[in-house]
Amino acid sequence: MSNDITKREAQELPAFVPATDIVEQEDGFHIYMDMPGVPKENLSIDLKEGEVSIEGLSNYAAPAGAQAQHAEFGAGRYARTFALSDAVDKGRIKAVLKDGVLNLFLPKAEAVKPRKITIETT
Amino acid sequence: MVIDFSSFYDLPREIARIMDEAARPVLISQRRIAYPLVNLAEDQDNYYVDLDMPGVDTSKVELTLTERNLTVQGERPAQPGRFFRQERVAGSFQRIITLGAPVDKDKVAARYADGILRITLPKSDAVKPRKISISAQG
Repeated sequence: MSNDITKREAQELPAFVPATDIVEQEDGFHIYMDMPGVPKENLSIDLKEGEVSIEGLSNYAAPAGAQAQHAEFGAGRYARTFALSDAVDKGRIKAVLKDGVLNLFLPKAEAVKPRKITIETT
Repeated sequence: MVIDFSSFYDLPREIARIMDEAARPVLISQRRIAYPLVNLAEDQDNYYVDLDMPGVDTSKVELTLTERNLTVQGERPAQPGRFFRQERVAGSFQRIITLGAPVDKDKVAARYADGILRITLPKSDAVKPRKISISAQG
């Protein structure tokens, strides 16, 4: 019952597409996503059929009892989905949420990493 | 890797963006250039300034308080590497917030959690409403 209510409330929150950086570094790809106001327990990351879906619920609340003078942001639901290529090692994906920024690390699969080929002499 | 570079890839996102804008409450101002985003609230005793600034090193954020202005200065460092997509704000920022009444400079408190900085500024005693007792003369 109470679960139903929280669900409905979540649906009514405005949905946002979080600002995202996708960066390739030596060890792999990093997806940085701004999700201000989202604590760890409100974040879900699902990997399904080569797609990673990220959803976060911001529990930002204006100070209780205070009167708003000016507002530019509020609570909301962040959601975004990315398709992953085979170059990503899906078994070793790591996610860190710190200070409202999600860092999703997608390591490169061993098969696509650059490597030296040794020459054999006969 | 992650991205399909075909030209229509962003269409769903564009639609989402337009819907976002239509759904945004009227109370929320439309100034999108300013960074960080600011919410200002007040009650009888305090002003509350909430700043939406995820991923900022608070030790490098400078808060300066003058008579009625609160200045926020800081920097969001860009990540090294090759970018496929860059939507997050990077670089140094500054924003000045004007308060309606003088505040007690010594009692200002700031707390950073989940990317939101909340600054509580107590109004100075001189501007707080107060009751005046009437002394009757015998």
